[in-house]
Amino acid sequence: MAVARNERRGLSLSARRATRRRREVARAYALMTPALVLVLGVLAYPLAWEVWVSLTNFSSRAEGAPVWVGLANYRKMVHETEFWRGVATTVFYFATTTVAKLAVGVPMALLLARPSRGRAVVFLAVFLPWAYPGGVTVVAWYWMLNPPLITSYSVFIGDLKHAVDVVFGGGAYTFLSVMLFNIWRGGSFTAVFLLAGLNAIPTELFDYARLETRSAWQRFWRVTVPLLKPYMALAVFLSFTTAFADLANVWMLTGGRIIFPVLGTYAYWLGIRNGQFAEAAAYSLSLVPLLAIALFLLFRWFDPPQEEPE
Amino acid sequence: MKRRRQRWQHAMLLALAALYSLFPIYFITVQSLKTAEEDVFGNPLYVVNPTFVNYTELFEGAEARVRGYVIVPRVPFLLWVLNSVTILLATIAVTLVAGVLAAYALGRLQPPGWRWWRRVLFASYVVPHTILFIPLYQVIVKLGLDDNHLALILIYSTMALPFCVWILSAYYRHLPREIEDSALVEGATPATAFLRIMLPMSRNVLVAAGLFTIGTIGNDFMLASIFLLDPEKQTVAAGLGVMDVSLEELLAVAGVNLAAIPVVAVCAAFARRYVQGLTAAMLEGA
Repeated sequence: MAVARNERRGLSLSARRATRRRREVARAYALMTPALVLVLGVLAYPLAWEVWVSLTNFSSRAEGAPVWVGLANYRKMVHETEFWRGVATTVFYFATTTVAKLAVGVPMALLLARPSRGRAVVFLAVFLPWAYPGGVTVVAWYWMLNPPLITSYSVFIGDLKHAVDVVFGGGAYTFLSVMLFNIWRGGSFTAVFLLAGLNAIPTELFDYARLETRSAWQRFWRVTVPLLKPYMALAVFLSFTTAFADLANVWMLTGGRIIFPVLGTYAYWLGIRNGQFAEAAAYSLSLVPLLAIALFLLFRWFDPPQEEPE
Repeated sequence: MKRRRQRWQHAMLLALAALYSLFPIYFITVQSLKTAEEDVFGNPLYVVNPTFVNYTELFEGAEARVRGYVIVPRVPFLLWVLNSVTILLATIAVTLVAGVLAAYALGRLQPPGWRWWRRVLFASYVVPHTILFIPLYQVIVKLGLDDNHLALILIYSTMALPFCVWILSAYYRHLPREIEDSALVEGATPATAFLRIMLPMSRNVLVAAGLFTIGTIGNDFMLASIFLLDPEKQTVAAGLGVMDVSLEELLAVAGVNLAAIPVVAVCAAFARRYVQGLTAAMLEGA
């Protein structure tokens, strides 16, 4: 019916397709609106506010309206040894936990990918660390590894803590305990995520690999790792912010008793405890270049632009 | 002979993975079942005389009481559970509805620059909300939402949305176009074709998105304790989190364990579909 009418009007096929496409694009924008409004509505103003504040002298101590100071906060920040210590700790924290999560997650995924008896039960067990509500378990964990009161194992933990702190400096043990929690939880997520990735890879590829390679070790590095790479990149990306949230939780609850602050927790400390909002904003935003580099690399791995020419 | 040894090795490794995953939960659960005496003098790895005091304490109502030398803080636990459930369900609903709409637009209708829209949305995932909360708080107050569950629902949704849009749009993009086209030929509108055919087909991906939302939200207590100050309105995480954990950590652990039971049950029921959904989204590229 519709086709006949259009032909009578003399519309060519391509013109009709163009109007349909235009309508489709309009519909696409309409459908995207709720998600964009939510994400930008919640994030755009706060981000802009942080940028603006980092360029002023806004603080709870200064009197009167905030004054524009340009890049002074940043200039001061890069001369601060605290800042560079924070950068080093942040990079160390993310690098170590990420490598450890992959080191735990990849073998567990490979283990669960192979059919065997009891696999379903073990799969649920591996799923559990991530599914278990982390917001307070991180605190439970923290107190378990750093018992505040005398409990049956506090002497043992005390010795351990002393040993670690002597080697790596004061506060190392508490920092390590948060890292352990993060690895435990994130490793579980990575394992399940990579298991899904393994399932998405055609099994023929592994069969060929079996014929082409000499040892299992070689097969792992030459075939499995390259095939899993995009999924590993995705998993790493997803564990970024959770790593930060864990630290923030413990930091806040313990009144900043972790001696090695990462950039984010240090910014929180400056802003909330000291009221130095401008400096805090500068510290938070100093994360942006690091995140941008990470995003650039990861997108190249898991969202390659060349697939599907438009 | 060799095969048998390999099977053994495999079984051992599986057991090791299970032990590694479960031990911390086992450990804190054991501690939460102990009496004060056993907490000090017992063995950390098992409990001889289990007591459920820490668990029943949670339901004793809203009065602060003294137990031994310790003041037990008031814990309206049931109320917190109710609040958590409300917020969780609402967040999942908002996330999935907004996510599915955007994913269909990005994966199927593909407006100009969709690849970049998709990346921008996904990139917003790395923004740590926890350091933005001073301006976030301003927004919430401006909207008149402070001490309101809606504030948390909005913020939580934006935390889970990026990933949900990513996997759902990947799935819709790779779904063969003929499936939708055949429905359109039959005379269905695009909306009914989507609701009747594509949406049901993507149910495993929806499950994956939903579980991811639960996991993401379950990790937060900081935002909850900042935006919900009224103890009657708090979630389990916020309520237990701001409690004086140093004195009553076992009570907090008991609370977490109790709150975890339904979450774990839901996750266990859907874990398989979660993996299937992720796989479906990952086929033909991430």
